[in-house]
Amino acid sequence: MSLQSYTPNYFSIDDILASQERCPCKFIVDIPKLGRLNPSAESNDLKAGTTLELPMWLAEHLSAGRHPIIAVELPRIYKEAYREILKADACAVDLHKLGLYFYEHGLYVKQFDARGDVSKILLETFQVRFRQLMDLANNIGSDPAVQDRLDSLERKLFKEGHAARTRLNTWLTDSGTPIEAAAMVINHKKRKRVDVEDII
Amino acid sequence: MSAEKACALVKELHRNQGTLPPYNNDLVNEVTKEITQLIQENRNDAQESERSRGSDLLEGVSYISTIRVRHAAIQRNLRCLLAYHYNRVRSLRTMRWEFGSILPADIKANLSTAETNWFSKYSSILAKYMRSVGEDGGVNLAVDLHPPKALYIEVQCLVDYGRYELSDGSVLLLKKNSRHFLPRVECEELIRQGVFQHIVI
Amino acid sequence: MNPDEVEFLAEKQLISIIPTFNSNVIHLISGDVGPFRASLPVRVPLWMAINLKQQRKCKIQPPDWMNIEQLEELKEEEKRSKTFVKMPSEHYMIEAKLLLNYATDDISRADEIRTIIKDIWDIRMSKIRSSVDTLVRNAGFYATVDHLTLMEINTMRPLLPHALDQVYRMKKAQSTRLPTQSTTLSLLNSSHRGSSLSS
Repeated sequence: MSLQSYTPNYFSIDDILASQERCPCKFIVDIPKLGRLNPSAESNDLKAGTTLELPMWLAEHLSAGRHPIIAVELPRIYKEAYREILKADACAVDLHKLGLYFYEHGLYVKQFDARGDVSKILLETFQVRFRQLMDLANNIGSDPAVQDRLDSLERKLFKEGHAARTRLNTWLTDSGTPIEAAAMVINHKKRKRVDVEDII
Repeated sequence: MSAEKACALVKELHRNQGTLPPYNNDLVNEVTKEITQLIQENRNDAQESERSRGSDLLEGVSYISTIRVRHAAIQRNLRCLLAYHYNRVRSLRTMRWEFGSILPADIKANLSTAETNWFSKYSSILAKYMRSVGEDGGVNLAVDLHPPKALYIEVQCLVDYGRYELSDGSVLLLKKNSRHFLPRVECEELIRQGVFQHIVI
Repeated sequence: MNPDEVEFLAEKQLISIIPTFNSNVIHLISGDVGPFRASLPVRVPLWMAINLKQQRKCKIQPPDWMNIEQLEELKEEEKRSKTFVKMPSEHYMIEAKLLLNYATDDISRADEIRTIIKDIWDIRMSKIRSSVDTLVRNAGFYATVDHLTLMEINTMRPLLPHALDQVYRMKKAQSTRLPTQSTTLSLLNSSHRGSSLSS
C-alpha cells in the first residue's frame, strides 16, 4: 500500500511520461542546424513560422524566459469544444481516449492558457467524476467498463481504493486475515507461469 | 534530439511495474553517447558564436536558440537516465524485503554488475543493522508485519522446498502440498516468499 | 491502516468474562490482569477474552449495548438522523465481529444482532459515501467526523486523502497562473508567485 499520494518529482516515471505528451508549437525565430526536428522538411535550418508538435518538456523550456523561441498553443483536448463536452457531463467522457495523462498534461498545459479555463476544467472534471471513481473502487452498482475510461491519475486512485476495499471486505467476511506472499513474489510467480506457457 | 531513446528506457520500467526487466546496457550506452555528442555540438557552436561576435562582421550567426534546444535535450536525457537507474534500485530495495537476501536466479540475471554489488551491500548493511537492534541477538524486521492472532498457525507447502531447519534445531522435510502446524515466527518469512500458504479456518 | 491493525487497537478494550479457572494476577506490559477466580466476573482485554474463550476457559459477558432492543432503537435513530449517531462503543463493529464469531453461545439471539449491526454499518457507510462525495465536489477544507468510529474512518483511506491531495494540487494550479509568452507578464507573475510563497 502506498502511503503517499502522487506528487510529481524529478525521478517520477509518471511525470516523465506525462511531460512526453505533445502540444502544437510555432517557432518564432530561425533555429540554425536543427532542421531535423521537422521530419517533413529537408533544409538544414528550422525556419521561423514552422509549426511542430513538441513534447511538453521541450515546449516548456523553449517558451520560457525573456526570449521565447516558440509560441505554444493549447492541445485540441483542452480547447473550448472539448471543455464544453466535459462541462456538460464529465462522467460520460472517456478520459483515457482523450489522453493517458489528461490531468497531468493539463497541469502543464495550463501555463499556456492565460485565462485559466484549463485549470478550472481540470478541477471540475475531477470533482464531478470522483463519485463514479469511488463507487467503482467500492464495487457498488457501477459499470466495470468505466474502469477503461479513467486517465492514469484516476487509475492510480482506483487501484489504491480498490485494494483497500478488498482488504476491508475480507476482514468483514473472514474470521482472520491470512499472512500473504509479498506483492513482488506473487508477480514473479505469475510471470514465470506465463514464460513456461510461452515455451510450451 | 527529442530524447526518445531515453524515454524508451523509462517506458520499459513503466511497462514492467512490480518486477525488474533486464538492465538495458545498449540503450543506456546510446543515451550516454547522445548526451556527450550534444554537449560537444553545443560547445562547438558556442565557440563559433563567441568568435563571430569578436569579429567586426555583424552577420555573425547566433546559435543561441540552437544551443537552447540542445541544452533542453541534454537535461531531458539526463533526467530519464537518472530516473531509470534510481527507480531500478528502488525496486531492488523492495525485493530485498520481499524475497529476502537471496534473489531468484532469473531476477539476478537481469541486474547490472553495479546493481548486483549494490544489492549485496544493502543486504549486509541491513543484516548488520537488524543484528544490532535490541540486546538479544537483534530483531528480524522482515517479520511480524501484521498483528499476530495466535502463536501457532497452519500452513500448506506450495513447492518442494527440501530440508528446513527450525530455530530449535529440528529439521522438517518440506514437500509440495504437505501441511504443517508451526510457530508463526518460524514460517512468516516463508509465507512472504511464497513457499508456504497460510491456511485460515 | 489495514483492518486487522484497527482490530488490533480495538482488542485493548476491556470486557467482562467469567473464568472457569483460578489464577493469580498476570503482569503484562499493558497492565495487570486478574486475579482469576472461577465463576467470579473479571475485566480483561478483548484479545485475552477471545483467547481464553477459544481454550474454553471462560464465558464472555457481552457488553450491555449488545441487545436487540437497544440496537433496534439505534438503527431507527441512525435512519432518521442526517448526521452520524454516537455509537455505544468506539469499536462496535470489531467487538461485534469478534464476539459473534468466537462467543456465539454466550450471546442471546446472536443472528438477529448480527443482522442489525450489519444494517447500522450499511446505513452509516452510505452516509459516508455521500458526504465524501460532497466534500470533494465542494473542494472543502475540512469535514466533521464526529461520532465516526476508527474502522469507519479507515474505510475511506487511502482514497479520500489522496483524492483531496489531487484536488489541492489542481486548486493550487488555479491560483498560480504561470507566465505566458510576454516578458512583462512573466515578470509580474514571478513577483506575484514570490509573495504568495512568503505569505
